[in-house]
Amino acid sequence: MTTTAPPKTDARPPAGSRRSFPMEITGGSTGVLIAKVIGLGLILALAIGLTPTLIATSNWAFLAILWVITLVILAIYLTGRAVPAKYLLPGTLFLVLFLIYPILLTFQLSTTNYGDGTRTSREAAIARIVGSSAVQVEGGATYGMVIGTSGSTTTGPFVMLLVNSTTGDAYVGSEEDGLQPLDEDAVTIESGVVTEADGYTILTRQEQNSLSSSGQPLDGFSVPAGGDSVIKVQGFQAIEMRTPLVYDEEADTITNTDTGVVYTEQLGPSGDRSFFVDEDGNRLSNQSWGENIGLQNYKRIFTDPAITGPFAGIFAWTLVFAFVSVASTFLLGLLLAVTLNDPRMRFQRGFRSILILPYAIPGFISLMVWAGFWNRDFGLVNDLLGTGIDWLGNATWAKVAVLATNLWMGFPYMFLISTGALQSIPGDLKEAASIDGATGFTQFRKIVFPLLMVATAPLLVSSFAFNFNNFNAIQLLTEGGPFTPDNPTAGGTDILISYTYRLAFGSAGQQIGFASAVSVVLFVLTGVIAAIQFRGTRALEEMN
Amino acid sequence: MATPDLTSATAVPPTVVAPAKPQKGAGPDKLSGARWWRILSWRYLVGIVACVYALIPVLYIVSAALNPIGSVASTEIIPNTVSWVNFEALTNNPSRPFFRWFGNTVIVAVVVVFAQLLFSSLAAYAFSRFRFKGRRLGLLSLLLILMFPQILVTVALFQMFSVIGAVMPSVGLDTLPGYILIMLGGSLGQVYLIKGFFDTIPHELDEAAKIDGAGHVRVFFEVCLPLVRPILVISGLLVFVGVVGEFLLASIFLRSTTIKTLAVGMYGVLASDRSNNLGWFAAASVVIAVPIIILFQFLQRFIVGGITSGAVKG
Amino acid sequence: MRKSLLSVAAVASVTLLLTACGGGGGGTDATGDSTATTDASAEATGDAGASADPSAPPVRGNEDLVVWTDATKLDAVTAVAQAFGEANGITVGVQAIVNTRSDFITANQAGNGPDVLVGAHDWIGQLVANGAIDPLQISADSLSGYSEKAVTAVTYNGQLMGIPYGVESLVLYCNKTYAPDTYATLDDAIAAGQAAKDAGSVQSALNIPQGVNGDPYHMQPLFTSAGGYLFGLDATGTPDANDLGVGTDAGIAAAQKIATLGDAGSKVLSTAITNDNAISLFAQGQAGCLISGPWALSDVEAGLGADGYTVQPIPGFAGMSPAEPFMGAQAFYVASNGQNKSFAQAFVTGTSGGGLNSEEAMTTLFEGTNLPPAMTSVRATAAASDPLIGVFGDAADAAYPMPAIPAMDQVWTPLGQAYAAIIGGADPASTMTTAAQTISSAIASS
Repeated sequence: MTTTAPPKTDARPPAGSRRSFPMEITGGSTGVLIAKVIGLGLILALAIGLTPTLIATSNWAFLAILWVITLVILAIYLTGRAVPAKYLLPGTLFLVLFLIYPILLTFQLSTTNYGDGTRTSREAAIARIVGSSAVQVEGGATYGMVIGTSGSTTTGPFVMLLVNSTTGDAYVGSEEDGLQPLDEDAVTIESGVVTEADGYTILTRQEQNSLSSSGQPLDGFSVPAGGDSVIKVQGFQAIEMRTPLVYDEEADTITNTDTGVVYTEQLGPSGDRSFFVDEDGNRLSNQSWGENIGLQNYKRIFTDPAITGPFAGIFAWTLVFAFVSVASTFLLGLLLAVTLNDPRMRFQRGFRSILILPYAIPGFISLMVWAGFWNRDFGLVNDLLGTGIDWLGNATWAKVAVLATNLWMGFPYMFLISTGALQSIPGDLKEAASIDGATGFTQFRKIVFPLLMVATAPLLVSSFAFNFNNFNAIQLLTEGGPFTPDNPTAGGTDILISYTYRLAFGSAGQQIGFASAVSVVLFVLTGVIAAIQFRGTRALEEMN
Repeated sequence: MATPDLTSATAVPPTVVAPAKPQKGAGPDKLSGARWWRILSWRYLVGIVACVYALIPVLYIVSAALNPIGSVASTEIIPNTVSWVNFEALTNNPSRPFFRWFGNTVIVAVVVVFAQLLFSSLAAYAFSRFRFKGRRLGLLSLLLILMFPQILVTVALFQMFSVIGAVMPSVGLDTLPGYILIMLGGSLGQVYLIKGFFDTIPHELDEAAKIDGAGHVRVFFEVCLPLVRPILVISGLLVFVGVVGEFLLASIFLRSTTIKTLAVGMYGVLASDRSNNLGWFAAASVVIAVPIIILFQFLQRFIVGGITSGAVKG
Repeated sequence: MRKSLLSVAAVASVTLLLTACGGGGGGTDATGDSTATTDASAEATGDAGASADPSAPPVRGNEDLVVWTDATKLDAVTAVAQAFGEANGITVGVQAIVNTRSDFITANQAGNGPDVLVGAHDWIGQLVANGAIDPLQISADSLSGYSEKAVTAVTYNGQLMGIPYGVESLVLYCNKTYAPDTYATLDDAIAAGQAAKDAGSVQSALNIPQGVNGDPYHMQPLFTSAGGYLFGLDATGTPDANDLGVGTDAGIAAAQKIATLGDAGSKVLSTAITNDNAISLFAQGQAGCLISGPWALSDVEAGLGADGYTVQPIPGFAGMSPAEPFMGAQAFYVASNGQNKSFAQAFVTGTSGGGLNSEEAMTTLFEGTNLPPAMTSVRATAAASDPLIGVFGDAADAAYPMPAIPAMDQVWTPLGQAYAAIIGGADPASTMTTAAQTISSAIASS
């Protein structure tokens, strides 16, 4: 890409070229100018329009990013400097926002234990464990309930206006004064709920509903009802309840007041999370909480035998899968292209139309249909071949099946690009290279094939990268299987990405922090492999 | 790897670069029967075998679509009964609004294809025509980053869009614009291919246009872009096929029945009851494949004959 | 540079114009949408800026009640949700989610989830471990209206976590042409199917979906009848993760019984019978009998005709224990982090006004899903007009509620693969021992 080729000097814009468009805004026609002004105006308007919302909701990071982006855009398009940046910015912006930034977030996630049971903060987890233990007081009352206020319907103060569903007595309940009887004359009761009450405005159900979501004034609203029982809201009812679990902040323990058992925090067996357990180690709840655990996830990747064992094998198969997928599709595609590219042949267009059909059918459809074809007893493949192979039940045959399916799906693309490349080879060369006996083949090998490789090498590299992470091909065909009874996480056809996906989102508990660490390792691996490939293809690139 | 005289072909103006078609003259009539048989028969044979290979699964899908029972076990490659009930079912079930999903997919695909081609061409032009600090590094890191599969960052994306959606609901989760934005994360995906083509356009053309007083914007849009049309078509097809088949991100980000794309909607239908919905699924597949095939036919002349011409000429 | 300044000025003026329009008429997307949905919450944040500006985060979605379910139940759930919406004058949205459970957990945590979730009861363990659903309080009176097993299924750590609407368990379907009787033992049913297979009338004697990865759910009736168990029960009657039955002598003996039906034995079981083809093969008349659930009914009836098949609870092996398949309850849950908790709680626990805890709503759900109702009165009515519902219901009542404990998640894959291997002819004893070790170590390290 750098050294000798003559075009390189041509590629460099003349020294004066930058000065030849000093004012970008004058560089284009009036139409371009207007489009530019309106476009930039829109962006600025959006930034200004969003600012109050972001300030009100304290989204400071978002606000900062928004304005940095806006100012960068304005700086680049309103000045005459940095012409390349004008071309690079639009795509780069999306790349940074929706790929690079999430990748950075993934790095951050990989140092946490985030996943099932650890999604909340410790405080929230304790509150939830304690709160979820609330039960209805035995023989306790239930009430038809509406929320009333003596002040504003949005800020309160709020009270519960209650009608005992057994006795029909009316009460008013507030957090400060508890439950007080209401004078019958002061209220109107219809079908078990208060509809009017002197001195109180009654909230509509919509108002109550929107004030009850988390963080709002009525979130967790309860009224003390004597002893350890409280009246809690459930929908448009209220119920007399008690909470047997109590969290002792000083001792950092949770006590069950019914049984007297004290639960203390203890590190769980997985080593990345803690639970509240009693003296015998029995968990109070399976709910844990999120923590930063540093490099522990990475340590696990490289030391846990359950991971290191299959990892090498999966990595090797991933490489084989990607390489064979590219090689087989390319060879078949090339063979067909060379065969059908004879100008004396009729129906070329017809052949091409049929041969690209597999590519025209969306991949997920093909894969789901093929999954059925490989069934041992009822599948099309054994039917047509007259074999009884247990394709998807045997790890080796399953690999063959995956590769064969991928060949069907991928060869039309390679056929197309090979045909295109062949046709663009100059006529005289082509004439000489037409395969016509042994000498023809030699000419093909020495002249046509190298030219083809120049044209298609970048496509082959990107195809390799695609297949290296071809999640759909594995997930929709075999789901990574077949598995063995001793290793339920690594299947016979798993490639790294399907394996990672199962770790992250599998049914046996999501381990997102850990999966993020695997993703990072996968990223590094992909990068290394890509770098090696680009070194290998540099000779071809130099030609440009 | 290549002969020196090929590299020097760079200087040939693009009018000559256009695919040469002298082979037209060599008609089949020049071959005698025996010679025809020796030279061409095996080509037809290979072609026919390949077509059978390509067609069998497709026939199976068509057959399942025409099979009124629409289940795995009852479907043969050649349909034993022909019925349109599966196609009718595409239109009359409000809980699986096939054509709505179809429309959504078209919207996403058109926007993403257009944006990705535009942004990739812009960036490719910069990488090809300008020399600036960090150019090589930028190109390499771009290639590297694009290899990072987006599904590995779905959790991070989900968290991001939760915040974005809270501020701008119209581009949040469960919206087509939000989903499109996510897909635009890969909008530089075609830079590498397109840059290769820009590299092959002789710089004399740019210079000539500049002497005529054109700015770099006009050079880009009016001189360079039309010359790389073949690769734009190819790249566009690549992106299009990718977008139509994308189901993983869609399954996480699109939830409402009316917002779904074909991939996630159809996957849900088949996953919920595989044996019984095959007919519906197959009929839907046929309806999807037909316009794509027509599009392919239409674009074939761009693809074949132009796909890699620039790169080879380089 | 003067022209550059000019352009800055031009952009600025366009911006001003656009911003002004946006403020007045909701020009940008963001302002337009948020003002539409959240007048109440905007004020509720106590924001000093009482201007018309959208100053609070908008409620996700436009509906007052958002429900998530999977695609198969979409119509039925929509029907009850809309009835509730009409009764309360609110809007409802029902969404079919592909990965309902995992997406719910993620979305709920992010504050983007639904208000109500519909799903199987064995999700409860994972949902509770994530603090994703709230316990519900229902009067003892109300609860007694549901089948006992259904209530047991949705009760977790002594708390009621959901309202069950349907119950399901595996039953035995037989093709009347080949296996016309009601069978007292599974062996008899297999014998009838086998005779048809030997005669060339069908391809399979008895379809039990296993697939290449095995399927413990569909194997459970055979495993239990042959004496196996997954988890023992502790003193309180809840499954005990420390008492794993897979690798015990009883488990191995049961696996040996299963092996006699596999490739090395009578070849009744096959990994080629999968969840994709088991039902359709039977419905095409290609299998003597089928072990499946109520969800297979519509296909079977469409394929074999209303009189072409029989349904009965799964009998045990001759001379062995009764078969005890898993019982599953389908239930509604209230999300812990929903935006509309009041409506969600009223919808799920309410006995009137469109609430689910009523015969009316349960009847609608039954009509939409055709699942045996969990509410006994509704089931009685349904069974009176459709005896099959009674059969399905009785089968579910006799089945064993699938353990919702998290340890169960560690069982499926290893045990399934063990079954697949055993069907394929692997040694039952060593295979089950390996599977048990895998499961135990996974449970111990989680």
